[in-house]
Amino acid sequence: MSQLQARFFTENKRYVVDDVPFSIPAASEVEELSSVINQLLLAKDVDFDFLVRGQFLRTPLSFHMETEGISTVRHRSYDKTARIWSVEGKPVMTVAGHTDVVKDVAWVKREGLTSLLLTASLDQTILMWEWNSERNKVKARHCCRGHTGSVDTIATDPTGSKFCSGSWDKMLKIWSAVPSDEADEVEGPPDRPRKKQKTQQLGLTRTPIMTLSGHNEAVSSVLWCDTEEICSASWDHTIRVWDVETGGMKTTLTGNKVFNSISYSPLCRRLASGSTDRHIRLWDPRTKDGSLVLLSLSSHTGWVTAVKWAPAHEHQLVSASLDNLVKLWDTRSCKAPLYDVAAHEDKVFCVDWTESALLLSGGADNKLYTYRYSACQTDAGA
Amino acid sequence: MDDRRGNVQSSEQKEEMKKVQEKTTKRRNKEKEELGDEQILNLNNEPPEEDEDLSDSEDSVYSGLEDSGSDSEEDEEDGSDGDVTVDSEQTHQAEEKKNMTEVKRKDDEYEHDSSDEEDIRNTVGNIPMEWYRDFPHIGYDLDGKKIYKPIRNKDELDDFLDKMENPDYWRTVHDNQTGSVIVLSDEQVELVNRLQRGQFGDINFNEYQPSVEYFSSDVMIHPVTNRPEDKRSFIPSLVEKEKVSKLVHAIKMGWIKPRRVEDNSRGTFYDLWASEDSSILSKHRMHLPAPKIPLPGHNESYNPPPEYLFTDEERALWEQQDPSDRKLPYVPMKFSSLRQVPAFPRFIHERFERCLDLYLCPRQRKMRVNVNPEDLIPKLPKPKDLQPFPTVQSLVYRGHSSLIRSISVSPSGQWLASGSDDGTVRIWEVCSSRCMKTIQVGGAVKTVTWNPNPAVCLLAVALNSVVLILSPALADRQVVSSSERLLLGDQEAEAAEDTGAVWSEAEGEELNQGIRLKVHHPKAVHQVVWHAKGDYLASVMPDNSSHLQVLIHQLSRRRSQNPFRRNKGLVQCVSFHPVRPYFFVATQRSVRIYNLVKQEMTKKLQANSKWISSMAVHPGGDHVICGSYDCRLSWFDLDLSTKPYKMLRHHKKAVRGVAYHRVYPLFASASDDGSVIVCHGTVYNDLLQNPLIVPVKVLRGHVMTHDLGVLDVTFHPTQPWVFSSGADNTIRLFT
Repeated sequence: MSQLQARFFTENKRYVVDDVPFSIPAASEVEELSSVINQLLLAKDVDFDFLVRGQFLRTPLSFHMETEGISTVRHRSYDKTARIWSVEGKPVMTVAGHTDVVKDVAWVKREGLTSLLLTASLDQTILMWEWNSERNKVKARHCCRGHTGSVDTIATDPTGSKFCSGSWDKMLKIWSAVPSDEADEVEGPPDRPRKKQKTQQLGLTRTPIMTLSGHNEAVSSVLWCDTEEICSASWDHTIRVWDVETGGMKTTLTGNKVFNSISYSPLCRRLASGSTDRHIRLWDPRTKDGSLVLLSLSSHTGWVTAVKWAPAHEHQLVSASLDNLVKLWDTRSCKAPLYDVAAHEDKVFCVDWTESALLLSGGADNKLYTYRYSACQTDAGA
Repeated sequence: MDDRRGNVQSSEQKEEMKKVQEKTTKRRNKEKEELGDEQILNLNNEPPEEDEDLSDSEDSVYSGLEDSGSDSEEDEEDGSDGDVTVDSEQTHQAEEKKNMTEVKRKDDEYEHDSSDEEDIRNTVGNIPMEWYRDFPHIGYDLDGKKIYKPIRNKDELDDFLDKMENPDYWRTVHDNQTGSVIVLSDEQVELVNRLQRGQFGDINFNEYQPSVEYFSSDVMIHPVTNRPEDKRSFIPSLVEKEKVSKLVHAIKMGWIKPRRVEDNSRGTFYDLWASEDSSILSKHRMHLPAPKIPLPGHNESYNPPPEYLFTDEERALWEQQDPSDRKLPYVPMKFSSLRQVPAFPRFIHERFERCLDLYLCPRQRKMRVNVNPEDLIPKLPKPKDLQPFPTVQSLVYRGHSSLIRSISVSPSGQWLASGSDDGTVRIWEVCSSRCMKTIQVGGAVKTVTWNPNPAVCLLAVALNSVVLILSPALADRQVVSSSERLLLGDQEAEAAEDTGAVWSEAEGEELNQGIRLKVHHPKAVHQVVWHAKGDYLASVMPDNSSHLQVLIHQLSRRRSQNPFRRNKGLVQCVSFHPVRPYFFVATQRSVRIYNLVKQEMTKKLQANSKWISSMAVHPGGDHVICGSYDCRLSWFDLDLSTKPYKMLRHHKKAVRGVAYHRVYPLFASASDDGSVIVCHGTVYNDLLQNPLIVPVKVLRGHVMTHDLGVLDVTFHPTQPWVFSSGADNTIRLFT
């Protein structure tokens, strides 16, 4: 079998080829296929990727790493501050207020010149900041108290009215994200250290709306599936889905290793989890039995510390690992990642996508990298 | 013979017998004459006379009788008998005549046959003569007249007298056919004797006449017969031809088959053992034949080739050797001839040894059970089935500048404390390997331990002769405040006098670093360990010469006490029982268990090792593992025995640290060979079931530095992760 019949389809109108079966040498690789299409189109050398029945024909491709863009990015760090960066690589603003390590940050609202952001810290508090980008001023609006362990993760709900935090004390707490001018009453013991704290406190104290307890170990990652559903991953080897309205647990997905991070893609409605056994697993949160692993992506050699679905692409996700690598995956090729990004010199702790499809990663080498992923693809169906 | 008898007889008898003898001799003489005549007559009849008239009937009758096999002697007697006894002349003559005719006729047929025909006068034939016993006659003669029995009135006495007196009695025979008595003549006796000797009857016959050799080896000029060969000898035989053609036809038609070749003749033997049952066969199979005597070789020859003879050195060596070691039991000797070979001196000895070989050597095949030794090992579950356990190195905590002697994980599992020889205690965040705090303590840290009580957040650090209590303030505010309150404690209970331990509070910079309390000991502190409740801690000051080796401190009351009055050996490490008021003290070779309430020793465990280095108590409290400097790890089941339930010798070098996991059935040992070995150790509630111990993983990663590998090992309190600290200034987390 030396010749194959193939048809080429693409969504990109520039590269549309006639819908005629072509006879192709069976041994040809991606370069040869690309050259075939180039000749058909009388175009210059354009590299194409080919999908054969939903699977990429090959994975390695030179990766263009560019730092360019306009949108803003924020970064969490271990120097007790949060910084706002422009994507050009300059720190725009440093937000300093926590008495301990900042573990996670989240935007609440970015409209106009003022925007709200949250920082979660090891000092068991979450601070809500208001940032005026024009004046480049930041102001602490609220100090959310209630956790008795370091707050490891926060997530705002899609509407921006609530946020959820997960902590080392095994609790999930839901807070109001709407800034107000009055402080909530602290139900804690109003004895002597209160006075001292008040003097140090930035902003107004805020107490949680709801506390969700059920995890047996520290909560490592939390996210909103939709406006009424929270998904949390924990060190007790479970991923739990909670109903915000009732505060009850809906589903439990049980793994056998500690989960470091989860991510949910509304496009493909799947949950990706990164765990300490070096695999990225895809889950369907709607399954009731909760023990179903749809797919497992394994190429990392260290703990997977962060996973993130691409906001615009239903098959792509990015993962960070302790083996200093950031990997970009396509769920249609689960054997190997699309790209290995070897930029960090130390452990990578977090990754994220910007709205303009830029990749961000932060690591223990105190660097924040931004990557642009050039996605020019030609789909080919055979 | 008669003469002799006569001599023997008495004289009276002799007289009687003489009379009788006279009678008989008269008779004998008369008979002799007749017999002699007849004999002569017979002999005279010898010359062949041809053509005598013979009646055919007679011939045929008598020739038939001839075959009946009567002796020639008897015939002879008969012949003579007839002559003597028959009274009538007629019969006698007739007999004579017939006899002559018979002889003549015989001569006809057999020229050289001198045997004479029997003289038959009785015509009854060859019948048993008993049939005529009751008749007066005995048969019929040729004329058909009765032959009457001789009137004999001889009774036994007569017979006896006859025997005594008659000198011819010995040659007297009785003719059964005629019933008469015949006295044999001398010639007849001679003839009888000759025949008895196997000689030829005729005296004149020369048995040894020179023979004429008709056929000899000499080649004759003339043929034996001059007769020309027949014509038919040249012509193929028509009869044969006809026969052959018949056979050929029969073969062609298939009537005659050629003889079948018996090719399966070997297969049809009789199977002697067909009906033998297998038990006997198996018995035979177990039999071993006797060893064969080795065949004699050249060196045993009386005249061996010279290379077999001993040289002087060989002979000297042979003489020096023990008889059992000699290759040959004799010295090869050379003799010029077989005659000079002396007697074999070792004969008896050699036979004896052979007999020993035959009956003392057990010539029976041993019934050895052929078992694969690996089948005898109990089947351990595969490590794969015993998940989870740490398998790969995940994180490395770098920051210390000297070897790390001790590590400890906080009860929440979030923090890791490490004490190093560089004089610092570092506190790390477990999940990110970030060093959260570095506390300068000013001395090589021997031990760091977190307070196991999750309600307080305190760290005990042993260095030099001081035990420091640190409050790292890495917990909830309430926990921190409660631990601070615990430390404030009852200050009125000051240091007890007899222990020599002095409590003091930290000040200034130390207070900022988190150091809260200092307990000064009289000697260097080696180890410090918390009680599970978190109020008591025990410190070890190893000193062989003192009874003050272990101190138990109470944190809330700031009190120290020495639990032991007597020195029982160099204390290596101590540990509290996780639930019961027991206290484990490991000395160099044994572990003693004390009941703190009753203040007595309850058990003494013999570790079977030379020098215990470390000890860990199972969270259930019924099992203890001890690591020792002689590379062993011994697991004690306190319910089972004071001896180790299992000794694990997996490490190549001294075991430095051992640890149990609090939740998972895991334990780990750290060794100077740079490896941490994680074992699965399930403990069952069932008292009948022994713990299941399976080594599951060897974890490597630490670099050997100054011949030291891994110094301490500890498990994460909730996850199946193990931390190890090494001499290469790193802490490694294996997950």
